[in-house]
Amino acid sequence: MQLIHEPLSRRSEVVLGVAGVLGSALVLELLIRLEIVTGSGLPLPSAVADQARGLLGDVDFWSQILYTLREWMLGLAIASVAGVVLGGLMGASRTVFKLFALTVEILRPLPAIAVGPLLVLLIGDGMLPLAVTVAIACTWPILFNSMYAAKAVDPVAIQTARTLHVSPLGILTRIRLPAALPFMFTGIRVAASIGLIVAVSAELLLGNGVGIGGYILLASTSASNLDAVYAATLVAGVMGVLVSVLFAVADRLLFGWKAGLAP
Amino acid sequence: MTEHTTERTAPASLELEAISKVYGVTRAIDEINAQVPAGEVTVIVGPSGAGKTTLLRIISGLDTPTTGRVLFDGSPIKGVPDGLAMVFQDYSRSLFPWMRVEDNVAFPLRRGVEKAERRRRVLEALQAVGLEGKERLYPWQMSGGMQQRVAIARALACHPRLLVMDEPYASVDAQTRAELEDLLLEIQTRLNVTVLVVTHDIDESVYLADNIIVMSKAPSTVQEVIRVGLARPRDQIATKEEPEFVHARAHVLRLLRGEAEPEAATPDDTLEVGV
Repeated sequence: MQLIHEPLSRRSEVVLGVAGVLGSALVLELLIRLEIVTGSGLPLPSAVADQARGLLGDVDFWSQILYTLREWMLGLAIASVAGVVLGGLMGASRTVFKLFALTVEILRPLPAIAVGPLLVLLIGDGMLPLAVTVAIACTWPILFNSMYAAKAVDPVAIQTARTLHVSPLGILTRIRLPAALPFMFTGIRVAASIGLIVAVSAELLLGNGVGIGGYILLASTSASNLDAVYAATLVAGVMGVLVSVLFAVADRLLFGWKAGLAP
Repeated sequence: MTEHTTERTAPASLELEAISKVYGVTRAIDEINAQVPAGEVTVIVGPSGAGKTTLLRIISGLDTPTTGRVLFDGSPIKGVPDGLAMVFQDYSRSLFPWMRVEDNVAFPLRRGVEKAERRRRVLEALQAVGLEGKERLYPWQMSGGMQQRVAIARALACHPRLLVMDEPYASVDAQTRAELEDLLLEIQTRLNVTVLVVTHDIDESVYLADNIIVMSKAPSTVQEVIRVGLARPRDQIATKEEPEFVHARAHVLRLLRGEAEPEAATPDDTLEVGV
């Protein structure tokens, strides 16, 4: 097997990826059907796929998907604004950094999911506590990426702007911000995947039966319905893949100029 | 040339009065007194670590001297003087990679310049450096020499009265360097602008200069100011064959190596000491 080789074409990358997924499913199918692995409630891939196909034809399930997506987007939006603004300022100014660094360090280890029940108590039912839970988890990667991005802006670019009579505010908005944006976006991209996981988990945990997580929760109360649980989980996983592809494409379109950054 | 008819204000002069710079306990610049005459090319040359870049930062208002002052057209500077444009050595870091060439060149023009006028000035500046038709490219899609031309065009777009360049050609190959030296002299004559260049390249200092300010190593002082009377336009081959070029070049080299007394003090020394 050749471990180091020329980069693969885009098409063969996709083909290999799909082959990997189908292959794993096939192995699992055989393991269960040949009774090499036994036990109740194992996910038989063909049954799960069947169930998933059924789910995608189900209008109610689609409304759960949309619910999760809206909750995720709201949370990611809150986190993006908070992370970019606070992180950017912490990176650009030592004073702001010192002001918030300790607070950030204290809050960061708190698992967002654990804060969820408190949020329900504080802001009540509905989508908002779920979205805020997502936002808490998503803020950190965005904040840290934004902070380091703003801090790492090339001093020569800033000096250049100064000799061109750009005001300190102008340097923040016209030099630091555009120079840091691609790395802030990387933070948002990382946070997007985390956010989807947190969104589904929060629905499961804080559950009043909404979203994909809520669907999984309700389906899992009936032991006969485990395939539906697996199917919904599979749909959540596919959503994660789509989100990450979407962000990769946006990254290439928006920040192609990253190729020009000095090494 | 007739295609550049824009009104330009007169070239600026610069005086450095007893400039010193101390960082903590390190005395980077001991005392610098020098003149940069209006409408001429002045080159600062010195050994590495002579505080040349520190001095340029002070001149361009990015840093303040510990003592002394900089006079721009006779008035002490506060911050970056109006009419000063700077070209940095590191074009790839000084040009903004998220902007196309035209936006980089137009960048300093945003304050109070109309859109049509801005466009006209960008094209004029790109034409001056021989980059017509490249305005839609990104800088990082160009060669190093072309990128430095963009940086020069950006400086020219503000119609500077003083063009300050910090080791502008240290990162390009020899062929490109020669082209850019000739481009600078041609622009300087045509646009009638004062030019101040820092370099550690002795050939380049003599080739470009009307005046060479030779600095000592840190804590730096001015060793000597050399007047170069070589005719303009200069030529990469013929000028460098002239006795005055050869003599000036050898003299600067001896000064930098510490083998010569300044010429004013002992005029005969320089011809006797072998290199």
